[in-house]
Amino acid sequence: MEILSGLLQGFQVALTANNLVMCVVGVVLGTIIGVLPGLGPPATIAMLLPLTFKLDPTGAMIMLAGIYYGAKYGGSTTSILLNVPGESSSVVTCIDGYQMALKGRAGPALGMAAIASFIAGTFGVVALMLVAPPLARLSLAFSAPEYFALMVFGLTMVVLLAGDSLTKAFLAMLVGLWIASMGTDLFTATSRFTFDRTELLGGIDFIIVAIGVFAVGEVLGNMEPAKPAEMLPVPKGLKNLMPTWEDMKKCRFAFLNGSVVGFLIGILPGAGSTIASFISYGIEKGVSKHPEEFGKGAIEGVAAPEGSNNAETGGALVPLLTLGIPGSGTTAILLAALVLWGFKPGPLFIQDNPQMFWGLVASMYIGNVLLLILNLPLVAVFAQILRMPGYAMYPLILGVSIVGVYTASSSLFQLGLLAVFGLLGYAMRKLDYPTAPLVLGLVLGDPMEKALRQSLMMSQGDPSILLRPIPSVLLALAALLLVVPLFKRINAIRIQVIERES
Amino acid sequence: MFQIRWMNALAMLAAATLAAGLAHAEWKPTKPVEIIVHTGPGGGSDVLARAIVNMMEKEKLVPVRMLVLNKPGGNGAVAAAAIAEKKDDPHTLGLITSVWIANPLTTSEAKVTLYDLKPVAQLLMEPAVFAVRADSPFKTLKDFVEAARAKPGQMKQSGGSVTSRDNIVRQQLQHATGTKWAFVSFQGGGERLAALLGGHVDIMVIEPQEAGEQVRAGKLRVLAQLADHRLPGYPDAPTLKEAGFDVTPTPQIRAVVAPPQMPADAVAYWEGRFAKLCETPSWKKYVHDNQLEESFRPGPELRKSIVEIEKQLREQFTQAGIKVVR
Repeated sequence: MEILSGLLQGFQVALTANNLVMCVVGVVLGTIIGVLPGLGPPATIAMLLPLTFKLDPTGAMIMLAGIYYGAKYGGSTTSILLNVPGESSSVVTCIDGYQMALKGRAGPALGMAAIASFIAGTFGVVALMLVAPPLARLSLAFSAPEYFALMVFGLTMVVLLAGDSLTKAFLAMLVGLWIASMGTDLFTATSRFTFDRTELLGGIDFIIVAIGVFAVGEVLGNMEPAKPAEMLPVPKGLKNLMPTWEDMKKCRFAFLNGSVVGFLIGILPGAGSTIASFISYGIEKGVSKHPEEFGKGAIEGVAAPEGSNNAETGGALVPLLTLGIPGSGTTAILLAALVLWGFKPGPLFIQDNPQMFWGLVASMYIGNVLLLILNLPLVAVFAQILRMPGYAMYPLILGVSIVGVYTASSSLFQLGLLAVFGLLGYAMRKLDYPTAPLVLGLVLGDPMEKALRQSLMMSQGDPSILLRPIPSVLLALAALLLVVPLFKRINAIRIQVIERES
Repeated sequence: MFQIRWMNALAMLAAATLAAGLAHAEWKPTKPVEIIVHTGPGGGSDVLARAIVNMMEKEKLVPVRMLVLNKPGGNGAVAAAAIAEKKDDPHTLGLITSVWIANPLTTSEAKVTLYDLKPVAQLLMEPAVFAVRADSPFKTLKDFVEAARAKPGQMKQSGGSVTSRDNIVRQQLQHATGTKWAFVSFQGGGERLAALLGGHVDIMVIEPQEAGEQVRAGKLRVLAQLADHRLPGYPDAPTLKEAGFDVTPTPQIRAVVAPPQMPADAVAYWEGRFAKLCETPSWKKYVHDNQLEESFRPGPELRKSIVEIEKQLREQFTQAGIKVVR
């Protein structure tokens, strides 16, 4: 009852002309920066911060949050069309999204990304509204040992991301883990693998590696054949640009998976939307009846990660609003904005500012609907990009990649890194190494290492701390994931042997 | 409108007289000014820089736009190098913290030190407090230290890197009392607080403003403060000295620096502008709201602060067994 009256109050706040305009401005801006690689929500919100001082704080918060979740909608666009991740959380979408585009199904991929984003994004808001306080307390039970187990579980997804050879996938993952260890070590303040370069003290940003091995590697690979590259097929007619009913039915589980996994990982201050999208992709492939289609353009491979990165937004707001704890770059700057406006984020924030909280929740319902309405017609527009011939398309991909990396870092050194990883991606393609495990290792390596060392520091070196209930379950699941394909292989060999004998 | 402009001119004149000893020719910025910070958007320096930009604009102290440029990585090393590259550019400034002093001491790749940059003005000191969970058995810092004495190495403190203030004050306390407890590093302040609230560690050093709300909600208790005198927001929490520990915490400063060869008249201009800023009501309110400590000092004094802090850090690192490289 309390929730209902709160929500009603919230809609009264969110539906005022001023706040509605703020919501529209936020989600439109969010979509745009989502589409642009390199420029992410934290940088955009930081740039807009001075402007917000002149605004009413509730309206300003509605706008900034709109940028945050709006960007998650836009992020999939370049992933699907150009194989360039538009946001860090859309890296996984490249895997099946771009394959769908190659097969002429860019429209359904883009449409499904918007629909999954809407469903899971709305789920995230509902969950934020209903279960925020108890879940926030639960999230505090999660500490280093639990994070370590979660990251290990995430790493075992490599089995699912592998192509024909598991060995090659493991090798790629190890390279990813190695790159993740570069930079200044938090615990000892010593430098690792910096080659005496100041620029490498901060490590290597995984988004540069992802753009390099996915997009630049792809372009280099495609420039090779002597015959001119074919234009990608774009079917005519609006009907062919939208996901079919069949697609929707296929993605039923992906919607649920993305919503729940995204939200749960979102409330953890030590994990983010990129990890959420990798894990929900892995789960989707793990339970799928046709896992062999993943990596070759399975629509569930777009729906699950795109859903989870949107549900994550609702989740990430839980510790921010109920505990005053930011769990990501974007929530950190939202926290800073609240402090600058004179609020006191902390455990009493919602109680002290019900109007702000409920206004924000209501605006997120409205914003998600607006984003769906905004993004579906854009599908038809964006899909036309693929009509471009190769000689226009590949320079475009390269240009978008370079501008993206430069906007994010404004450093020529980072562009050099982009070139290096582009060549690495090309070599991996030629030698038939899968690239996704490399990015997986890079994303999970750093948090996994930190969590392990933190756990051991907490227990004075006793590894039994990793066998608390939650980590035990996660580690057992991880072991199972690793062992199952092994059994399948042994079984296959056994059958071969039996057949040969008989 | 005209009147406002006239008053502006008057204010500028006043500032110019203030810096008269240093400024001969009147220099003024003619294009947008970049403030380089070493954190990403949302980090401590980034937020302060954006607040400064906003206040400079609101108080009409600078005739051009100011922008914040994030150069994260290497605990300030990347940002320091970016400022040094600007050579004599009078339109670039850097916002530093004590991290910029500590980092080159332990990191050989950090080739630019603060001695290579021009000191402009010290702005703030950042106090901090020791906090435990509200349901913790420790009512005073003494209780905690005694517990650490009874069970060596079993009490835990969450904090940042080993070179951070959190660890240095721990080392000082351990040294002064002959006790030992564990230090668990976390990347972000949010993770450190979550580890304390979740009962995974026993104590942490936290910013007063951040702790304030947790105390009000009955989640945390403040045991002592790392400051010379009691903060207005915590009249009942003793300083380390008052709590019976002969430990002087190394000051955590926030200050402004400039590229190595910025002309003297431009440096004087910026020093004057920041002196002016620190007197405005907006600045006073910001300092009060965030429970910081005002500590304006002109460039030469800032240089002295840096030398003094570096000396202290060098000693403390050596004592703690952290390798000092320069």
